[in-house]
Amino acid sequence: MPRAYTSMVMNQSGSASKNDSPGSQQSPRRDVVRAEKLQAGYAGKAVCGVVSFSLHAAQSLALVGPNGAGKSTVVKTVVGQLEAVSGTTLVNGAEVDDRTLDFRREVAVVFDDDAFFPALTVEEHLAIVSAGHGVEDVEAVIAAELEFFGLAALAKSRPYNLSSGQRRRMLLAAAFVRPRSLLVLDEPEQRLDTAMRHKLADRLRAEVDAGLALLVVTHDPDFLAAVATKALFIADTIHTMTPRQAAAAIASENPHAD
Amino acid sequence: MASMQTSERFSAREIRHYTFRAGLSRTQGGLMELISEVYTSILGGLTLLTMAGALIVALRHNLGVGDESALLASAVAPGFHSVTLLQASATVLLTLAAALLSLEMTMGPVAMTLPQTAWWLGLPVRRRGFIQPGFFKSLIWPTIAAVMVVLPMALGMAAQASPGRLALSVLCGAGLAWLLYGIAAWCQVTGSGAWLRKVTGAITLLAPLTLVATALFNNAAGAAAITGQHTAWMEYLPTSWPLLVADGATWPLLIVALALGLLVVVNANLERISTAALKKAAAAGAYAASSLLSMDATELSRSLSAGPTTGSTKVRLRLAFKGGTELSRSVKTLAATHATMALRSPAVLLRVLVLAAIPASLASVEFLGNAVLIAVALYLCAHFAATALGATARFSAGNPAVDMLMPLPAKAVRQVHYLVPGVLMTLWMPVSFGLLLALGVGSPALLGLAVLAGPGLGAATLRAAFRPAPDWNMPAVASPTGPIPTGAIRSFLIGPDLTLIVLLPVVICLISGGVPLVAFPAQLTLTWLAFLWGTHIRKPKSAKDGGMFGTPPAK
Repeated sequence: MPRAYTSMVMNQSGSASKNDSPGSQQSPRRDVVRAEKLQAGYAGKAVCGVVSFSLHAAQSLALVGPNGAGKSTVVKTVVGQLEAVSGTTLVNGAEVDDRTLDFRREVAVVFDDDAFFPALTVEEHLAIVSAGHGVEDVEAVIAAELEFFGLAALAKSRPYNLSSGQRRRMLLAAAFVRPRSLLVLDEPEQRLDTAMRHKLADRLRAEVDAGLALLVVTHDPDFLAAVATKALFIADTIHTMTPRQAAAAIASENPHAD
Repeated sequence: MASMQTSERFSAREIRHYTFRAGLSRTQGGLMELISEVYTSILGGLTLLTMAGALIVALRHNLGVGDESALLASAVAPGFHSVTLLQASATVLLTLAAALLSLEMTMGPVAMTLPQTAWWLGLPVRRRGFIQPGFFKSLIWPTIAAVMVVLPMALGMAAQASPGRLALSVLCGAGLAWLLYGIAAWCQVTGSGAWLRKVTGAITLLAPLTLVATALFNNAAGAAAITGQHTAWMEYLPTSWPLLVADGATWPLLIVALALGLLVVVNANLERISTAALKKAAAAGAYAASSLLSMDATELSRSLSAGPTTGSTKVRLRLAFKGGTELSRSVKTLAATHATMALRSPAVLLRVLVLAAIPASLASVEFLGNAVLIAVALYLCAHFAATALGATARFSAGNPAVDMLMPLPAKAVRQVHYLVPGVLMTLWMPVSFGLLLALGVGSPALLGLAVLAGPGLGAATLRAAFRPAPDWNMPAVASPTGPIPTGAIRSFLIGPDLTLIVLLPVVICLISGGVPLVAFPAQLTLTWLAFLWGTHIRKPKSAKDGGMFGTPPAK
């Protein structure tokens, strides 16, 4: 189980634990992410309106809205992969900077980057992530995640021999073979079959309940309803919503839907 | 879920080594396999060149153009006013320096691959271990470029070329290359330098044209011609300093200290490079590398300046047609689409035009108007121009579904792909040979022969564009830079081979100094064969074997 929220769960049950990462040293109500008057865009040009939100440990925020509204751009800005047009983002109380070790230790990000080492197998890719994060029992952790994501039989395959959906599972698995206090997913449901979507949604919900902070972009109302604790609808205007309202809004692409 | 205990056991260096060794562990070949991949192609090329050489000797003898060796014979007409060697070398050095800086600014210069940025940069280990090796290793390329460029120039230009002077001149050239590398790296660290990229792009495009313009002006201006006195200042351009050192000056060597100082500063700031900058450089590097593999100078230049674009102008041609059969309407629509895509990238067309002027630029330089050198330049420029016009075809090769949108047989679609490069290369050849003729190289008959070769070059465009991709499903081959897929080297030669075959009659006649009548039917035949070859569609392996998995095809 990831280091950060493993220790949180133990704290909640009254046991003492070794808190050796910044994310695990905060109270559950402290902001893991705080975006203030954030405008995301490219080359100084905003692609959506001003966004403000906060995300605590044990919370899940879903960003929803039509294609091209700027959801992925906002998420990339929040994790420091794009420079903000204006506004600020704090992650674990510090201005976002993915060049710091603490940031990379705490934040797991899965975008749709289809870039793999062509000569390395699935399990070798996961080993890089797991070992790079200092996980001690790398083989056991990887085996468990391969099993969960239905890739156990493909452990020795190379990524370019996998189907698009299997490669997606592999990218998701990479986020779970390492510790994390904040997980950022951009449309994780894409290219997954229905069974895997449900399984992933259940897993994410369980991890959020255990203390993980989750920021997710999604177009799937069922996935959203299963995972999110709150939502932000991004379109021409920005609306804060309940997951139920957001799921309805996705179905109709109407931010005022009930 | 298993518990996840962590400790800080792995460094960037260890992760780097693990990635490298894990990939190599399954390779099934080494250097000899790499060589054996291409030796038949190399032997074939050498045989072709030997036969061409023998033909040239026989032709020169039969045409009575002199007993002088073709390797030494000047192709430029007597009394021609050449561009001075100083102007030529200063222009070449300036162009190459601009191209090098542009290349470095795009490829990084801190080099990581896309998978490395995707799988390494998120790890909580100090990035210096990932970045620094690439930073130092990449220094080798500007150094090699400096040696390859400065040494022959210093040898040719120095009044008294002692070994010591030559060594200092090369050191000065290397210092200049390191300085450019340092500037590019500093731009990467600070996320600046957009204007510098625009300037270097303009220099690389326009500088070679000044040579042809000067030569044409000199031959028309008579007494007002530009002489060595007018261009003496060019020796003091910083990019020409290695030539000053070769002539005895030592002060330009200060550039070495300046470069080393800048590299130290950059090295101390390597970890300031943002993830976004590293990913952008990796994406651009991957694009530039694929452009290099396809030998596409235009896509390479594009990747060096602004990255991949889909065209910047709003040219709109008519795409819907009435009348005629469904087949003819589809053909017209497809052809108009390809023409629209070509016209929406005027910079590509400009670069293709500049490439047409490069052989003439070479011919315009004092002592360089040699037929063999011009022929080599002609071959390279023709191939770069032909591949530059293959962007649409390459896109279709990567996205075959696009070609299936029209109700046309695959063969017809491939032939429509031929139209734009075929027409443009048919125009390109007379432009290139017309400029050469204006400078006194060749003859009207050679110009006519070149026009016949043009359509064949369009076919070379398609052969290069639709070459099969390297196969990662086959056992990989070990190389010093890691595993590479089977067939990667061989595929590099697909395309250039057809350009060489198409140009053989023209090149043989250019070097021979005369055009026998038999050259015309020979050229026509080769052009026709090239068209058939370039527009040929390979059948899938399963179809060749008789059906999927080697089973006989269903009756």
